[in-house]
Amino acid sequence: MPGRGLEGFRVVECGDMVAASYATKLMADMGAEVIKIESPTGGDSARQRGPFPGKIPHPEKSGLFLYLNTNKRGVTLDTEQTRGREIFHKLVGQADLLVHNVHPTAMAAMGLDYAELAALNPGLIMTSITPFGLKGPHSHYQATDLTLWNAGGLCYLNGGGPGSEDLPPLRAFGQQAGFQAGIHAAVAALGALFARMTNGVGQHIDFSIQETLMAISEFAGIMPSYANQVVVRFTGNKAIRPLDIMECKDGWIYLCCVEEHQWKGFVDIMGNPEWADEELFDTRLHRAENWDALQVLMEPWVKEQTVEELYHKAQARRIPFAPVSTMGDLLDSEHLKARGFFAEIAHPEAGTLSYPTAPYKLSAVPWTLRRPAPCLGQHNAEVYGALGIGAAEMAQLQQQRII
Amino acid sequence: MNKAPLDGIRVADFCWAWAGPYGALQLAHLGAEVIRIESTTRMCPSRLIPPWADNIQQGYNRSGYFNQYNQGKRSLTLNLKTAEGLDLAKKLVAKSDIVIENFAAGIMDKMGLGYEVLRAIKPDIIMAALSGYGATGPESSYVSYGPPQVALSGMSSLTGYDDGVPRQAGFSYGDPNGGVHGAYAILCALLHRAKTGEGQYIDLSQREACAMLLPEGIMEYVMNKTQPPRNGNRDPYMAPHGVFRCQGDDRWVSIVVRDDAEWQRLCAVMGKPELASNAQFATLAARKENEDALEATVTAWTRGRSAEEATQQLQQAGIPSYPSLDGRDLLANPQAAAREFFVEFEHPEVGKRRHLGIPWRMSETPCTVQRPAPMLGEATEYVLEQIVGLSHAEVVALREKNVLV
Repeated sequence: MPGRGLEGFRVVECGDMVAASYATKLMADMGAEVIKIESPTGGDSARQRGPFPGKIPHPEKSGLFLYLNTNKRGVTLDTEQTRGREIFHKLVGQADLLVHNVHPTAMAAMGLDYAELAALNPGLIMTSITPFGLKGPHSHYQATDLTLWNAGGLCYLNGGGPGSEDLPPLRAFGQQAGFQAGIHAAVAALGALFARMTNGVGQHIDFSIQETLMAISEFAGIMPSYANQVVVRFTGNKAIRPLDIMECKDGWIYLCCVEEHQWKGFVDIMGNPEWADEELFDTRLHRAENWDALQVLMEPWVKEQTVEELYHKAQARRIPFAPVSTMGDLLDSEHLKARGFFAEIAHPEAGTLSYPTAPYKLSAVPWTLRRPAPCLGQHNAEVYGALGIGAAEMAQLQQQRII
Repeated sequence: MNKAPLDGIRVADFCWAWAGPYGALQLAHLGAEVIRIESTTRMCPSRLIPPWADNIQQGYNRSGYFNQYNQGKRSLTLNLKTAEGLDLAKKLVAKSDIVIENFAAGIMDKMGLGYEVLRAIKPDIIMAALSGYGATGPESSYVSYGPPQVALSGMSSLTGYDDGVPRQAGFSYGDPNGGVHGAYAILCALLHRAKTGEGQYIDLSQREACAMLLPEGIMEYVMNKTQPPRNGNRDPYMAPHGVFRCQGDDRWVSIVVRDDAEWQRLCAVMGKPELASNAQFATLAARKENEDALEATVTAWTRGRSAEEATQQLQQAGIPSYPSLDGRDLLANPQAAAREFFVEFEHPEVGKRRHLGIPWRMSETPCTVQRPAPMLGEATEYVLEQIVGLSHAEVVALREKNVLV
């Protein structure tokens, strides 16, 4: 196997929205050759979601799609039609990995049958990312990112709190169930690929998004079996404080004093107000117990500070405060710029845009941005040509809406 | 049957708290032998935080938090402040494939265990350093914990109720997310080593790992210099899209309607088929326009029944829905139980407790949790005698010199 990182590995992806697309994006970014298969009628639904330049919907300009599919090639294929299925088999026949997030109730119709595919390619590693896994009483349940965030026990932990008790549990922004599924499934798939290098076996990975979220449920998932307690909304239930977001003059800051020296340092930054000597606030546990009182005393001072100034002052004393970064703060961050966290690439329809690159730097496998996300069916001629399909047949397939 | 994928791979695990341990946990799940290097002189914070088994805080082995996120690993105690302890750590690295740590940037160098030192001992070592800000850049010396990383990454500025304050997502979401991205990078490095024989150094920033999850926010800013408003549980392309109050104390159900056909089915399930043709709600645009009234209508139906009953009825009609599970629901979840997701080992101090297991099943190289989380120092003799190659007498002597604490 030649090349660096994942170079030389071939991945076929049938992804919609985030889970499978993020898993294979991470692989493509490390050098794998990823072919994304989309339906000829509209393609990946992420294309319809945006964000879009000028907020004008356009299937080739969705920021979500563009980000999730950099470094991949894209083809269209209707695998439900006979000829489409034959082509699918040819693609999978040459692949090391097949990654999909098609719902279990739709897999058979699309030809995602492991036994059948393994007969064609015994070394294939097929990763099925599904909401609840392939078996069990809820495996056929319909799901979206929000319902999964609830099914994994994470939604229940956020929102609410003093003054907001009537508000429902609050999700995290965006498509977090999809992203967690994607990164965890990528770990499992590469594990299986590593095993294949020694034992040669292909296999089927049955991956449950619900279980992934349960596995990161922090204190919530273990509290009952250890302490016979249930964690209710972190907002109003913290053993240690301050661990809170508070408003400054020009934005918001996360105040974090876990160690005593951190609190003492912060008190000093505040100019050692008299109330800080009160017994009510003398330990981190007491500060949590008396947070209602403490909060009211701190707020007016914090409100007079600028985020940047308080952040750097605190960090100079090794107090782990953090700005509540806006998107603009990220793009403008000198630190992220110095690390090269954003990189630009030109796309034929969407133009030149900055994209987040990768959160890790591997000394021997540099992250590279080789190509922008594919337009719908952009690589049909190239990929199908390599399978020996000529121009005449290609035209026919197009007419039959197979590609 | 074949062995687990990383069988035979050894990890020298210098991690503490949560991010690093969650990354190393993925490697243990895949079958690697993960050896935690611990010390009473620098106790892992997660051995010191609740929940304690039966609410009894005693010793270092009763924390559910520790016992959940360190399943399947071994524990070696070494005092790295002694020359002998440091030397033994290096000898273990010489017998390892991977080193993983999550101290603030530069700490391993100060301890005398930086990459250049370890590479001299084991040329093809893969070393992964997980830190809040990463090893380079003007803020690389800044301290960072998991909870503030959610704010720092930008996620909090996008999360919250309409017009309200920015909110936390999870509690320490930056930690497991940083850890699992670290595990992914390590696997890439392992595959690279298998092909080329070359080891390498991995510098991971947990803040950047969290920012990777926000393309809908970041790309909107890149394109339009604006960012999505905080809008609770709502979605611009689907409605209803929320978490609704049910019968009982603090019980909720999540419901999402993806298109007009699902809306019509929801109306039927709610016993209000006439609503389906009501122009106020008939199209996505109309439902978004009248979303407060829409949510009130749905709540009027959900609050009369349990979250489980609502889910069952909605799923029968093919509408995405699930109860908002709390911790107790989670451990009793029939789907996860049917898939044998939960892990219950007999632990010498805390007995049998239910833990969360591995979210994937491999058909040919099964991954199973091998053992409960380690008691502090439980494998010290095993590691030093079987792996490092000391005699039993040497280990006894080191113990007397307080090196193995």
